[in-house]
Amino acid sequence: MGHWGWLIAIYLFLGGLGAGAYLTSFAAEKGFLGKKTNLNQVGYYVSAPIVAFGALLLITDLGQGLKKPWLIINMFLNFSSVMTWGIYILTAFIFVAFIKAFFVWKKRQAPDVLSYIGAILALATAAYTGMLLAVIEGVPFWNSYLMPVVFVVSALSTGLSLTSLLAHFFEKQHQVHEERVSQVHLWLVSMEILSITAFFALIYSGSQGAVAKLSANLLLTESLALPFWLLLILAGLVGPLVFYVQQSRCQKKAPLAMKEQNLSENADMPAGVNQGASAKSQNALLLCDGAVMVGGLTLRCLIVFAALPVWNGLLS
Amino acid sequence: MSHNKRVELSRRSVIKGGLLLGTVAAIGLMPIKLLRAEETVKENAEPKTKKQIGFSYDEAKCIKCENCVRICQETYKWETDAPWRKLLRNEKGDALSMSCNHCADPACAKVCPVNAYTKRESDGVVIQDSSKCVGCGYCLYACPYHAPHIQKKSGAVSKCHFCYKLQDSGSGPMCVGVCPTQALTMGDMKELSQKGNLNYKGLPNPKITNPSMIAIPK
Ligand code: SF4
Ligand code: SF4
Repeated sequence: MGHWGWLIAIYLFLGGLGAGAYLTSFAAEKGFLGKKTNLNQVGYYVSAPIVAFGALLLITDLGQGLKKPWLIINMFLNFSSVMTWGIYILTAFIFVAFIKAFFVWKKRQAPDVLSYIGAILALATAAYTGMLLAVIEGVPFWNSYLMPVVFVVSALSTGLSLTSLLAHFFEKQHQVHEERVSQVHLWLVSMEILSITAFFALIYSGSQGAVAKLSANLLLTESLALPFWLLLILAGLVGPLVFYVQQSRCQKKAPLAMKEQNLSENADMPAGVNQGASAKSQNALLLCDGAVMVGGLTLRCLIVFAALPVWNGLLS
Repeated sequence: MSHNKRVELSRRSVIKGGLLLGTVAAIGLMPIKLLRAEETVKENAEPKTKKQIGFSYDEAKCIKCENCVRICQETYKWETDAPWRKLLRNEKGDALSMSCNHCADPACAKVCPVNAYTKRESDGVVIQDSSKCVGCGYCLYACPYHAPHIQKKSGAVSKCHFCYKLQDSGSGPMCVGVCPTQALTMGDMKELSQKGNLNYKGLPNPKITNPSMIAIPK
């Protein structure tokens, strides 16, 4: 059976993360993440390096290719191999994202078509990380058309988290607290919970065969259950979900509170209280973003580790 | 009033969430059924190449001497934890000598990014060229029969190639030649598939890759 482990799992995670970061900045630039936003740059800067680093991990995981690197160039050869598609997609994405970042850095307007091509390639990158596994009939647990869906949603979510985190630390000049971002993230996390549920429903329906159920059991109740429930479901999904729900509730009330505050004579006190509260929620927000990323990495590792071959190699 | 409303709201959203989950689960289940139907239609006994040769294993004749495995290892010097041929056995006394099955739809060849695998048009033998292999491990996941293995020393995959050089020069594969009881033989799949298939004692569904091997249980 295969030997894929941490390196491949991290590679799949980074592919999605970089793609998601690009798409976050793209969405911010196009105004989907609120009118005032500080997310429209960092994602562009980090996307190419992250995906490139991931690709480097894939290469260090090679056997003979590591000793004879000239063989690697042949990985462009087989058009029926999803891995070959991936090599094309990743190369193109790294290239385009790098140019786009250069434009952003020079504060020049990049041609619109460049940004759009980058966004399409980013989506392709995220989808590819799922497709790579989904086409393998030899591993029934992976062999599900919902696999790329789960990976794409998780890529968007982790990308948004990373970009928010980095913007918080590196875009200090203009901190903006856009409720739109929380709303989008709430939506993404919900989608991820839904797609993971559908993924398991599909497997337990039996249509993927008995071995896929054994893999799923590893995650839900057996050796991998602890990281699954604790890191992925609780910390990575349900925790953030609860937080974003609460945030969007608070923010609905916020405009009212602001008005009241302006009317109040004693402006100092409530403002101070408000700041304390917002610093707290700011920290929670950062924690949440971190947790989403931990969840995303856990997801990739668990999916890779839970791979059981369609046949265990024994006579029954 | 407002309290009430909120409770109601959350209850409603729980119901909504539940409905949504159900719908998504249903969507998850539907199309696969359709895909499955398509798959059975696509199922093919027709060879993909001009000719397809394959192995035949007759369990009743096998005396479990493992000559087939031994001669293969001595000839091709594979590492013992990366075998080209194995004699599988279980506690019940069942056995199966198996290598690569030179499948009609080789999953290995489909996924290998560097095209290390070729399927010969002349006889359907699937040959893997180790000198091209980068050792990505993708084919190890794709092959349902655990035929390709990474040789530790070289970091490259290798597997059974049906002794194609011997066959080209007119003789048969080593394993078949050395089997004392003719439990392991080879032949044209057109004839072999009349006698059996590889739906054998827990082996994976032959529909995945259409293996060119039959096993006749005792
Ligand atoms: S048995 Fe495995 S390695 Fe051999 S041809 Fe079939 S899929 Fe490829
Ligand atoms: S391990 Fe070698 S033979 Fe197998 S898919 Fe990768 S490059 Fe091809």
